[in-house]
Amino acid sequence: MKALLLLAALAQAVAAGPQTSEERGLWMEMDEAERELKDSNFVVRDSALQTYVEGVLCRTVGTARCAQARVYLVRTPYFNASMAPNGMMQVWTGLLLRVRNEAQLAAVLAHEFAHFEGRHSLIQFREARAKTDAMAWLSFLPMGVGAIGSVGLAGGIFANSREMERAADLASIGHLKSAGYAPGEAARIWEGLRAEQDATAAARGRKSRRDRNGGFFATHPNSGNRAAYLTQAAAGAGGDDGAAAYRAAIAPWWARLIDDQIKLNDPGATDFLLGNLARDGWTAALLYARGELYRAWGRPGDLEQAVAFYREAIAAGVVPAEAHRGLGLALTRIGDEAEARAALGDYLRLKPDAGDRAIIAAMIAS
Amino acid sequence: MKRATLLAAALLCATPASAGWKLVPAGTPIAVAKSSMSVRPGEAWNRSTERPSKRGETWTLDGVALSDLSFYAAVPPGEAIFRERDKKDEPLPRVAAGMLPTDIVAAVEGSYRILLRTSLFEVEEVAPATLGGHKGVRFTYRFTTQDDEVRRRGEALAALVGGRLYLMTFDAPAIHYFDARIAAARAVMDSAVIPAASVEVTR
Repeated sequence: MKALLLLAALAQAVAAGPQTSEERGLWMEMDEAERELKDSNFVVRDSALQTYVEGVLCRTVGTARCAQARVYLVRTPYFNASMAPNGMMQVWTGLLLRVRNEAQLAAVLAHEFAHFEGRHSLIQFREARAKTDAMAWLSFLPMGVGAIGSVGLAGGIFANSREMERAADLASIGHLKSAGYAPGEAARIWEGLRAEQDATAAARGRKSRRDRNGGFFATHPNSGNRAAYLTQAAAGAGGDDGAAAYRAAIAPWWARLIDDQIKLNDPGATDFLLGNLARDGWTAALLYARGELYRAWGRPGDLEQAVAFYREAIAAGVVPAEAHRGLGLALTRIGDEAEARAALGDYLRLKPDAGDRAIIAAMIAS
Repeated sequence: MKRATLLAAALLCATPASAGWKLVPAGTPIAVAKSSMSVRPGEAWNRSTERPSKRGETWTLDGVALSDLSFYAAVPPGEAIFRERDKKDEPLPRVAAGMLPTDIVAAVEGSYRILLRTSLFEVEEVAPATLGGHKGVRFTYRFTTQDDEVRRRGEALAALVGGRLYLMTFDAPAIHYFDARIAAARAVMDSAVIPAASVEVTR
């Protein structure tokens, strides 16, 4: 199971079905992996979001071609998407949190589709088999427990050789142009990931790995190069970025996805992501999320900042009852007991069936 | 199955071939997690010789995948509660002086999410409780792990005593095992004693 998932995650490819016995074997394994993925608890079962992502793929690569892909949205907070040679496409929720508009999502989907159409995984599989036993190749992969999650830790969309990645990147620009999406958005994704890796590193007091090109990343164009040649390929072409449509589609899931991210204990990256999403202004939801982040961060002054973010969120508009909870807990930590009680009381009034009602009530009473 | 404890299983290197089991007899007080905290089990349990952290200890009735009762004792401020897989790239939440009961719950949730690489973790109920006579918190949760896709339920009892965290968790599959074993696990948790003298002890 793990090996199959690994292969699925690594593999990408094919239009007219498997052509050789080798390819048929690969498809069979992928079909088995797909049967398991279908039953996974981690697959997001939301027909509206599903229809939206499939719609973006179809607009990008064309209706006839997109029918070859089956899209699975996977609940895991890391940035990744992949397409297996049999047409099984995985899109992780960490990617949905990070892309800022429909054009960026389209760029990633088109990139994966290009691997699929180019039969890149098959080519790589052949090369690996030529050199060594295929199973040895699989066991060499830098993953163990929890294939889905581990993949993202290794960083970004992956698989294939650098040349294949570059080919898929450039193919995706072609798809974006013909679909009328702003092709310049493809480079924005990599710029964002670079900046996020910097932010993670800065908050943890270590050197950024953004352009590291050894080890696992040896098979990838580094994010810096990638952003540069993508920008060049997109130069001069305009198009629609679909930001409003994207925000609307992701809205029902956004709170859960940012919550998954905040709980990763990567505050530098999370703060960067929030700032990136707030480029057009801090909404109540973004401010609430920033309050949650700063309340957990734990540096001197963070609790005071969290209080300010929660208050701004509450003043800015509709927020979940948990904004009052967060405000009350942050105030409790900094010793403002009267205000804390009031905020926690608001929380219980707004959410009378809260699962933590008993402890919050006890905190108010003490 | 090469799996010693649920959380330890998340750590690739944490499963030495030599992991073994010791019988914990019923009815006598027994110190747990290399600390002065002791419990008195109402029935015999099996203690793993492998620890989920340097200040932790795991017991089971059925094998840890099916019932996992773990103890973490006297974790000082600045330390992670659980053994870290990758301190540099996947640091776990730390114990902090002045943690609120809700902060303890958040630290446990965050650690499980990171160690088990799951976003399917939900805290259900959080209520005040006492741990060995000290004010603490009891909470219940549900989670699913990626490697086996098993839906599990958990219940925990925790308290800050003398600025250090004491935590007991019970995790088991939602189907059958949680309901079958929670009473026995809860009885062990509720029997915990933390002597006042231990409050200042540094190990």
